[in-house]
Amino acid sequence: MTPGLLRPDQSLRLVETYPPSAPARQAIIQVEDLSIVFDAPSGQVVAVDRVSLAVAQGEFVSVVGPSGCGKSTLLNAMAGLEQPFEGQVLIAGEAMRAPRPEIGMVFQQPHLFPWKSVRRNIAHGPRALGKPKAEALRIADDLIEMIGLTRFASAYPHTLSGGMQQRVAIARALANQPRVLLMDEPFGALDAQTRAVMQDNLLELRERINATIVFVTHDIDEAILLSDRVLIMSAGPGRILKDLEVSLPRPRSSAIVAEAAYLALKRDCLDLIRSEGRRAFEQMEIKT
Amino acid sequence: MRIGRRSSASARLSILVAVLSVPAFTGVWELVARSGIVNAVLFPPPSTVAVAILEWVRSGQFFADLMASLSRVAAGFAIGAAGGIVLGVLTGRFRLVSSLLSPLFHILRPIPPVAFVPIVILWFGLSETGKLFLVVWGVFFTVWLATHIGVQKVDRGLIRAAQMLGTPQPQMLWEIVLLGALPYITVGLRTAVSISFYTLVAAELAGAFAGIVYRIEIAQQNMQTGQVMGGLAALGLLSFVADRSFAILAERAVWWR
Ligand SMILES: Nc1ncnc2c1ncn2[C@@H]1O[C@H](COP(=O)(O)OP(=O)(O)OP(=O)(O)O)[C@@H](O)[C@H]1O
Ligand SMILES: [Mg+2]
Repeated sequence: MTPGLLRPDQSLRLVETYPPSAPARQAIIQVEDLSIVFDAPSGQVVAVDRVSLAVAQGEFVSVVGPSGCGKSTLLNAMAGLEQPFEGQVLIAGEAMRAPRPEIGMVFQQPHLFPWKSVRRNIAHGPRALGKPKAEALRIADDLIEMIGLTRFASAYPHTLSGGMQQRVAIARALANQPRVLLMDEPFGALDAQTRAVMQDNLLELRERINATIVFVTHDIDEAILLSDRVLIMSAGPGRILKDLEVSLPRPRSSAIVAEAAYLALKRDCLDLIRSEGRRAFEQMEIKT
Repeated sequence: MRIGRRSSASARLSILVAVLSVPAFTGVWELVARSGIVNAVLFPPPSTVAVAILEWVRSGQFFADLMASLSRVAAGFAIGAAGGIVLGVLTGRFRLVSSLLSPLFHILRPIPPVAFVPIVILWFGLSETGKLFLVVWGVFFTVWLATHIGVQKVDRGLIRAAQMLGTPQPQMLWEIVLLGALPYITVGLRTAVSISFYTLVAAELAGAFAGIVYRIEIAQQNMQTGQVMGGLAALGLLSFVADRSFAILAERAVWWR
């Protein structure tokens, strides 16, 4: 790390060593030397390149990086939707070979079942896990109230706005009470205003549920605002450049993005990404 | 404003022409047939056709023929469509099942169902089973292919979302995949409706004891051209009604689009 890049009074702390030394709390997600390779028409594409990371129980970790750097692939591997080429992903000590209901996922697109009402969409998970209908619907109703869509409980997805659909998708993922919630640019498709509201909602929500959250975004503001830790990925092959701890006080709200300290912090963060990116680029040139 | 008035006037004119179109052509047909320019036995006027239809209905044969044809089409459609959907979901979803069945289906599918009439007569004689077989055969491949393709086009995100929620395999197949492919399946089913009528014609021409096409054939042997034309009109109306009601049904089935 470049000395003097950050002043000591700043609440952002850069963790130099990587992989991080054993976290104080029990790690629930362990990614060990994970590589994921795709067969593309143009040859093999290394989407994730020997990534290791650990996420502690209850932690909120963001993954930031440019488009195509392998963020979704990494998240899909944690979800059990993508199998490792090398290395492994352990959640609660168990290798992820297939999706597990204790791990919830919110995608960039809501992917709601279009033939089901809001209520039935949210009740889908509990029903699939064999809960009685009445109980599943009660869970759904509670979540609908929490996301503030009571009026739309029996509406169908195509009649909702993008933001409302994404809120339903979040509620649907929460209905199975997941221990881990994976979110892949969940607000990426929303306009700036809706996005800010959704971020505040998520911060509030986080106080109420005790899930571990891994949040993919390419928005630095969003990452700093929401997270305990930000992982910065390099552009392909997907590798983790830096592991930054964000120790801004909680509770936070999206209003902090206007504060001077926050702005300075963000600028330094961007500088870091730029210099690291340049270094990675130069290394690549030397290699070839 | 003037443009609006002119276009509404032309719209009214086209509606008027559309309404008068069929009566006008029927009138011309009546005049030509009665004028003696053509042989009225081979080309009877619409009035003669109408009398023949009326006689057909009054004798009670029409209803029996209608039921015979309709039950063949309905049963054949139901069996062929159900088989096509079930196997289409399986071949579309499981590569191994597809490797097993798709090559065979792709070889059999392009053979026009009508070409199976001779072998169906060998196998089943003039029984109802043979007729059912022909209609089922015609419907099955169309529905199978539409389902197979539809299943492969189901939004991957929807399947992944369902997987993440712990959806068990049977529910995945018969709810998520099936409903996800429904827009494609309904297109296949609608094509299959008209195919079921084509194959019905072949099945009844091959030899039957009742049915609309059977009646047309008998009338032809007796030189009752009016009855032949009446039969054609009945068949046309029947398949038109079937197609329209299916289209409405399909729209309701995929209401979320
Ligand atoms: N199924 C696939 N087949 C082949 N290549 C793939 C596949 N999925 C992803 N890739 C490739 O892997 C790399 C990483 O993709 P990924 O979707 O993980 O990126 P991302 O960081 O999520 O990008 P974005 O921010 O645009 O969502 C890309 O180069 C992409 O082309
Ligand atoms: Mg992505």
